[in-house]
Amino acid sequence: MSEEETHNAPIAPEAQPEEINASCRGPVLFLFFSAAVWAVQATGVGLLGSLKMHVPGFLADFPFLTYGRLQANAWVAFLYGFAGNAGLGLTLWMLSRLRGMPLAKPGFVLAGAFLWNAGVTAAMVGITMGDQPGVAGYELPAYASRVLLIGQAFIAFSAIITYFSRRHQQLYPSSWFLIAALVAFPWILGTAHWLLVETPVRGAAQIPVAHWTVTSLQQIWLGCMGLAAILYFIPKITRRELYSRQWAAFGFWMLLILGGWVNLNSGSPLPVWSIKLSQYASALFIFVLIAIGWNLRQTAKGVPLLGSSDLTLQCMGFALGAWLITALFTFGNAYSDWNGLLQFTYASTAIRQFFAWGFFAMAMFGAVYYVAPRLFSGEVDWACSGTYKWIYRLTAIGAVVILLAGLGMSYGHGHALQTGSPEVLKKALMPMRIAFFGEILFFLSSLIFLGSMACLLFRNCCGECSPMALIRKCRADKAEGGAE
Amino acid sequence: MNKSPWIFLGVLFAMSLSWWGMVFGPASQVNAAKADLGDGTSLRPRSGLAQQGEQIYRENGCYYCHTRTATGGTFGYEIQITQFGADEDLTREIIGEKFAANKILKKAFAFKAVVGANDAKKAASEAVKAEGADVEAAEAALEQAAEALTDAKAATNAIKIEETLIALGVSGVTLEGDLAGELGLPIEMSDADKAEVANATFAVSKGIEQWDDIKDTVRALKDRAGAQFKLLPVADDWPDVVNGVARRQSVSRDFLFDAHAMPGVMRVGPDLSNVGARQQDLNTLYAKIYNSQAGGQSSHMPPFKYLFNVRAAEEDEKLPADAVTISTEDGVTSVESGFIVTPTTKARALAAYLQSLRNDKGLPEAPLPAVRENLNP
Repeated sequence: MSEEETHNAPIAPEAQPEEINASCRGPVLFLFFSAAVWAVQATGVGLLGSLKMHVPGFLADFPFLTYGRLQANAWVAFLYGFAGNAGLGLTLWMLSRLRGMPLAKPGFVLAGAFLWNAGVTAAMVGITMGDQPGVAGYELPAYASRVLLIGQAFIAFSAIITYFSRRHQQLYPSSWFLIAALVAFPWILGTAHWLLVETPVRGAAQIPVAHWTVTSLQQIWLGCMGLAAILYFIPKITRRELYSRQWAAFGFWMLLILGGWVNLNSGSPLPVWSIKLSQYASALFIFVLIAIGWNLRQTAKGVPLLGSSDLTLQCMGFALGAWLITALFTFGNAYSDWNGLLQFTYASTAIRQFFAWGFFAMAMFGAVYYVAPRLFSGEVDWACSGTYKWIYRLTAIGAVVILLAGLGMSYGHGHALQTGSPEVLKKALMPMRIAFFGEILFFLSSLIFLGSMACLLFRNCCGECSPMALIRKCRADKAEGGAE
Repeated sequence: MNKSPWIFLGVLFAMSLSWWGMVFGPASQVNAAKADLGDGTSLRPRSGLAQQGEQIYRENGCYYCHTRTATGGTFGYEIQITQFGADEDLTREIIGEKFAANKILKKAFAFKAVVGANDAKKAASEAVKAEGADVEAAEAALEQAAEALTDAKAATNAIKIEETLIALGVSGVTLEGDLAGELGLPIEMSDADKAEVANATFAVSKGIEQWDDIKDTVRALKDRAGAQFKLLPVADDWPDVVNGVARRQSVSRDFLFDAHAMPGVMRVGPDLSNVGARQQDLNTLYAKIYNSQAGGQSSHMPPFKYLFNVRAAEEDEKLPADAVTISTEDGVTSVESGFIVTPTTKARALAAYLQSLRNDKGLPEAPLPAVRENLNP
């Protein structure tokens, strides 16, 4: 029995893309621009933190600039600032387009976005004052997570209303991933907030909660938003049908089931059964990798993604490759010898950075490149599209540098830790020194991204009243006056 | 996959699986852990300055460069005999030629023989004196016992005094007075000697064997030879223990009373799970926190000078008792030349917290393994 027969209610007519884009314009651009600002902050603060790692005495007299605080701040700025804003903005636009309906309740989105950014700001100020909860990869003070949860609820409310505003005969797989991200985030953050910060469980019990939070935020929340973008844009730009909905569904459910289990270090002070379960989950993650990878490979068969002339497609191709590599690393963690060697080295930080920038940020850069101009009208293009290519290039090179440094050189650190070598410090610092160059490239690409966004807004916001339009008008008036 | 509510419900169900497995399950088990160690002692929560120090550790993000997670490793079993059984030949057969050739074993059984012969001689002497005894037979027995005693004494070859004390301990016999002196033992034992005898053990495996390798030996020693022994885990492929980073694996109960559990991210700096045992001198710890490179030390840790009070020293001013100092060629000097550096409450708290981090006491779920040097002398 088809869905058409099951539901007799008529399907609402699909809205025009221009109408949808116009409904998203204000909220989504605000979220994208906020993301660009946070990206600069994340990379800038991260760079400062890394500099302190290489020059320990640098700014050592300022308690609010310790390496630990800067690292926590950099990750908070990236995860909640950049990833949260960009991911939520893209979620709203994609859900509207996939449902064929204008964004519902844009006022809620704006209110939510303000709250969200206020929450991230509060978190960064709190960490600077020494208020972080001590959970690397989460790091939200209680007051900040409360505001973030409320802000996300406002935005999710609009997304859910949009989602249910029109019935489709078939839900595109990207919708599943976006809905999963919307549902997963409050669950993950709520668990961490209540069990780690608000009414913390006993110390020993915090370790599994913290691990689940951090790995779920990365694998499920960021993973779902990034993969939704890849699954949407690759078929769209290559003008092909997604190869298999079944493969996509299999990958989707496996990601949700396994995402919170994987990557627990073999040396964690936890019951052995939970470590073993995590290793089995990491081993099973190979199915997620195959399902997603094979599906997209077949979809884009014969199309050189990285060699494409379309920048969005290039970004999506690189993001897909980065996701596959990190999934492979997750699979590698099933082997306790491998994990035992790398668990306290820079490798896991490098893989996290590679996932964050190589996969997620790259997918968002590609998506923003496609979406942002369309939010104005069909004719608007990036002001300096040539510079936007450098975002792709710099991020890609930076991600590869960090990956190679993290995986290649951390082996030496892990080996030195195992043998008790006196060169352990030298081995520990070497991959971080090389990765520093990658971080510089991330910083530069973030600056260009912010500049591009600012330029786009400068030229096109407010219709005839945009700053650029006013400047052009003044120039034209002056030229006319001069001619007379 | 086309009905929206199913997607919502499916997502909730899928998430709940990992939530149950990685949050509820382990957290429930760990949350129910008791402080009682089962030997009349229990783990104690931090208090006072050490408790405040955890906050300083967290605030400064120390857990990004230091772990508090000593990892586990592989270990072998060392069979440690605490008292030999009566049958020397059977014992030798069970433990094998390599361990049977040890001088301590020879001497332990020689002690047993001496005590046996001495007892026999005493019994024979009493038999000679007894009324109505078969004097001829009793005198023959006495003569035989005396010869056995002489032979046994001769067998107690001269070895080092420490080895002799171990041999006496594992023999399970008591030797005192002149007889002890004749056999190379102190006539009057000091407390240290007595402790050596009481704690004596004799290893009859290398400490790298797994249970399957030694189970037959263990059963034979117990059931056939009547020996008393214990099984000691000996670190084999266990880097953190072998390298002196920690004394045992970190387990959940090490974090039982932490307000914020911080197992750590990377080991750019050393693991701190046993830093309290490694660094017992408070001044050294302060100097390390103030400036880990002071006195030409090689370190990459940033200085945490803002945790200390620093003022310029007056001319010829003596260092106050709480000044942070380092030892140099010129003697004990201030950690910062020309300045008086004293710890603030925050620095005291951080140091107290660090000194509270110890894992040099075994737990039932994480016993202290021995390191290889502990094998037989």
